[in-house]
This record gives sequence, C-alpha cells and structure tokens, in this order.
Amino acid sequence: MIDLKVTPHSLIENFDLMKGILATYGPDCLQVLREKAFRNYSEFGIPTLKDEEFKYLSLRALEEGRFAPAYGATIDRHQVEQTKVGQIEAITVTFINGEYAPELSSAHVLPKGVFIGCLRDGLTVYEDKILHHLGQIATLKGKLGSSNDERFVYLNTAYLTDGAFVYLPKGVSIEQPIHLLYLTSADHGPLVSHPRTLLIFEENSDAKVLETYLGFDGVYFTNAVTEVFLGESAILEHTRFQDERPESIHIGALSVHQSTDSIYTSNSISFGARITRNDVNVWLDGEHTETWLNGASVAFDEQVVDNHTRIDHAKPNCNSFEVYKSILGDHALGVFNGKIFVYQDAQKTDAKQTNQTILLSPTATINTKPQLEIFADDVKCTHGATVGQLREEALFYLQSRGIPKKEAQGLLVYAFAAEVLEKVTIASVREVLEKALFSKLRSSQELPEQGGD
Amino acid sequence: MLEIKNLHARVEEKEILRGINLSVGPGETHAIMGPNGSGKSTLASVIAGKSGYEVTKGSVELNGQDLLAMAPEERAAAGVFLAFQYPVEIPGVTNTYFLRAALNNIRRHRGDVELSMTEFMKHIKSKVQMMDMDNSLLSRSVNEGFSGGEKKRNEIFQMAVLEPSLAVLDETDSGLDIDALKVVANGVNALRSPERAIVVVTHYQRLLNYIVPDYVHILMEGRIVKSGGKELALELEDKGYGFVEEELSAKA
Repeated sequence: MIDLKVTPHSLIENFDLMKGILATYGPDCLQVLREKAFRNYSEFGIPTLKDEEFKYLSLRALEEGRFAPAYGATIDRHQVEQTKVGQIEAITVTFINGEYAPELSSAHVLPKGVFIGCLRDGLTVYEDKILHHLGQIATLKGKLGSSNDERFVYLNTAYLTDGAFVYLPKGVSIEQPIHLLYLTSADHGPLVSHPRTLLIFEENSDAKVLETYLGFDGVYFTNAVTEVFLGESAILEHTRFQDERPESIHIGALSVHQSTDSIYTSNSISFGARITRNDVNVWLDGEHTETWLNGASVAFDEQVVDNHTRIDHAKPNCNSFEVYKSILGDHALGVFNGKIFVYQDAQKTDAKQTNQTILLSPTATINTKPQLEIFADDVKCTHGATVGQLREEALFYLQSRGIPKKEAQGLLVYAFAAEVLEKVTIASVREVLEKALFSKLRSSQELPEQGGD
Repeated sequence: MLEIKNLHARVEEKEILRGINLSVGPGETHAIMGPNGSGKSTLASVIAGKSGYEVTKGSVELNGQDLLAMAPEERAAAGVFLAFQYPVEIPGVTNTYFLRAALNNIRRHRGDVELSMTEFMKHIKSKVQMMDMDNSLLSRSVNEGFSGGEKKRNEIFQMAVLEPSLAVLDETDSGLDIDALKVVANGVNALRSPERAIVVVTHYQRLLNYIVPDYVHILMEGRIVKSGGKELALELEDKGYGFVEEELSAKA
C-alpha cells in the first residue's frame, strides 16, 4: 500500500481498481513506469492556488468530482460526421473515451515503415522505438526552472493505456493530413480518460497532424499527454483543437523534442471545456531549429483557460516565435504564462513572444506573465503583452463600407483570433476552425454571415 | 447631388476647414487640388464620417439627406464611398467575406435582396477582371501584405462592387507607378455614369491626365479659393500653387 500524503480523491482511488487491468497492457516495463508515476502523483495530488504553476487555476472541481475510470461508449460514424471535424479528409485514428475505435478510423496504404494507429498496435511493431521515447520527452528532469510541476503528466502515465502513435521513418513525407480524434461520451456518469499520444518523426520526415478533442455527453475529465520527437531536419505542423463539452475539464500537456535543423509549428486552439489547462513544452536539443507556437483561446460564461508554455533554448542558433491570443467574455478567466529559458550555451538565440487579449466584458479577467530566464549573453529575446481595444481605424474602414458598428466590432473580434487560424496550412482544417470560431463568437457578437451557401 | 455649404471643421482646437462651398451634380467629376495641409483629406474624411473631426458650422447633403447626422455605415448605405489614402489592413478577415458583408448590408438598407456566396462571386467576377486583380487577393486577408498598388486597386475594386452614387478618392494616386495609376484610372473611368458623382482629391495633376475632371477646385487654408475647368489643373502643374497665392494677395 502506498502511504498517501494527500487527500484521497477519485483520481487516486481509481488506481487500485485499475491496477490489474493496466498491467495486462503492454510490456512489464510499462507497469514499472505506471507504478512510479503513480507514486510521484500521489506525493502532490491536485494542485491548489498555492502552487506556483497553478496560482490562477482552481481545480476544486477535480477534487470534488467523482470521476470513474473511463468506460466504453458507442458513437457511430454518422455522429462523428455531424461533428465540426466530421468532414475533414485525412488519415484518421479515432478514440472513444480513450479507447481505440478502429471502426471510426480510416485504413490507408502507407509508405513502407510508416505507422499511423494506436499505441497498443504500435507496440507489436515498434516496441523498441516506443519504449525509447515514451515518458522521455514529457519530462522536465534536469531542465531549468524552480517551480517545475509535472503532476498531471505523472497522472497520465500512471493510467497509461492507449492513444495515438505515429511513426515516420527517415526521409518520408506524408501529404495527406493525419487526424488524431479523441471523442468522449460520459453518458453513464462522470469519467476520466488519460489519452497518450506519441509522434516520432525520424530524420528528414515531414507531415501535418491535427489532434482533436471533442465531447458528446456528460461531465468528464480529459487528462491528455502528447509527446513529439523530431529528428534532424524533420518538419511537423501540429494543430491541436480542443472543443470539449461545456461541463468538462481538459488538461493537456504537449512536450516536444527538436533535433538539429528541425521545424516545429504548434497551433493550439481552445474553445471548449469549463476548465482548460494547456502546457506546451519545447526542448531545443540541436542547432538551427525553428519553432512556432501559435495559440488562440476563446472563453465565455464561467470558462477558465490557462495556457502555460515553455521553450528551452538549450543549444545555440535557434529561433522561436510565439503568438498567443485570447478573447474573453462574460466571467471568463484567462491565464498566459510564457517561459523562455536560454541556457548558457545557447548563444545567438532569437526568441520572440507575444500575448494579446481582448476582454469583451468588465467581468472577464486575464493574468498574463512572460517569464524570460537568460543565461547566455549574445541573444535576442523580446516579449510583449497587450490587453486591447479594437483598432479605431479598422473599425472606421469597415463602417465606411456599410458594415454597421456592432457587426464591424464583431468582425474585428473574429479577425483577432482568425489571424492565428491562418497559420494552419491545411485548408480544410483551417475552414473548420474558422467556422468553429464563428459559431463560438456568434453567441455574444454580431457577425456578418460567413461564406458558403 | 452633393451640396456642401459653408463647412467648418476642426481637429481638437485647430480649425482646418473654414467655409467650404461645393456643389457636385450627378454625372460630374470634380477634382479638389491643394498643397499639403490645405484640408483636402479632412474634407474627404468629414464627408465619410471619420471620428475625430468636429463640424462647427455648415452642412453636407447628399440628394437632400443630411450626411452629417449619419453614422459612417449609414452614409455608405446612402451611397457614399471613400477610397482611402491609406487603406487599412485587417488580418484574419478575407477580402471576400468583408466585401460580401459590406455589399449585403448596403443592399439590405436599400431594400434589395442579399446575395448568396455564389451570386456574390458572379457579381464581382467582371470587376476583378476590370481591375486586373489576381484572384488570390480575394481569399487573402483585407489589404494584408498587399503592395501599395494592390491596396489602391483593391479600393477601386471595392468601389466597383459597392456601386456608390458618390465616390470620394483621397490621394488615390499617391505611391502608384504609372502602370498601376492607369489601371486605377481605367477602373474609375469605367464607373463614371450619368447617375454617379466622383470627387478626386489630389495634390498632383498627374492623375487628372487619366481621370479627366469636369471641374477643378483649388483648396487653400481650408477654403476653395479658385474653381475652373480641367485647364486649371494644367495651369497649376505649370506654375505651381504659388501663382494662386499671388493672385489672391493681388486681389486683397
């Protein structure tokens, strides 16, 4: 028995129930990983406002909620097609409540050595590669920072079962977008799922990945971890679209390891969930890498959306560009914390960070904190935060063309976030995101009809 | 059509327009010329309803309607169009989305049916060709990353799509090379019609070689000091604004 130092809650209690089942999944070494992660999590438990990395994020709902281990649910193809992402043509891997759903996934002829599917199947082909990277990327061990906090990664690892796995061998580029679709239906009471995604891109490989989180019913907690390994000169455009049910809690950690000359783009779009916490951690482990972190969050009612990002410039000559935008209305609360660590060796680092927010109501709040820690002397690092009004001259321009003031304001609010969506280069995905943004804003803003008949 | 009477306007404490009188009939093209700081752009902005200008005296009417009492979007619906000297970039909104929203608002105001996307695309097709615009500009964000020439072309393209009864062109020639200038002028000329009035505000005579005005007015220190036919523009080109000043002081 583990000696618990924290208040027991369902996320801890579930472990005893699940242990036996978890042990049957994957090689024994995974069970060792789980046990260790569970001990680590149990040491900390659910964070409170006293914990530096969670100082604006109340997670009492996690403590009070009785989240059962994820159970099976049925979602048919027709229901999926009705969702916002249902018409996207892609190589699709679908999960329901964390469990692989082959009937909702697509079969494709793939280049030799490429694997796009679930971890469980992946282990039968690429066990060595998976075990080599799994849990090694989503870690802050040995990295700078005085308040590093990885408890939700531990929690995910403790319950690690399935999730998407993509493996691209050296030199392979996949033209068609890859869609990793996580669906949740909590129609039999509150549940928690811990999806785990692993993307391994070997040297010179190249693809575009969309990772989507959508809900159908009920109250639930998604605790997702995504690990990305980019080999030398690998290129990944990675869009993460979170549009969970309004009663849900979504905590997502994305960790990226970049090798020399690799290019990584993250587009993080958060519209859904009652409480959202995103952590994006990028470790730059080679020279001449390029990193683009783009974020767009829209929150209304009592929604809370907390974006934490960190970029570790561990090697010289790397460039990173970060733009995070939020639109907050009603009583919504937004948090942005952007850390950039420039290690002693990382000369000629060029890092730019921007955080912009539009508050649509006097009761909406943003807490924004850029955090640059620089230990090299020859670097260019800039950061800026604005909490803004709409641009007067743009407003007049729209009005002078006949668009009424309220509609013009709505259009500029839309444009503010749509500018981030433009970074998504898969046209069909960008259109889906634009439509989702449009309908999200429509409840509070007057907006002209969008395209299409 | 456009009747401006004794118009006085100021920005903060500074009086810029000091009694403008101007009457523009349907089908006419008027040029308003003047040196920097004479109030040309202020006049254009006041007609379109830009904030920051206080009208202290006088009136501006379009077809008998009091423009000064209207919001900018109401003026647009009433038929006013201002081609901006510095068109504004709006990242995140495509040209098509923006322009269809504009057109449908104006149509709604006039009691016309709104256009579906397909109908709209049909409506703008010939106009895209007329302005020699690259189709890709339609799906790009409004003016974002457009060259100076593309921005001005886009202004006239919008004018062609919205079909205003009064178009005010504010320094549309600034920053254009000769080829772009010709395209812009051709676009404007194609829109000249017996029902439409055009006011060209410019510092230089160059544009008027291509958009030949019926009347030319010289604006100085907030007043129209001299009016004439198109030959007045040539005279200005020849002698500079100094000759008008000399004439004025001779009279005084």
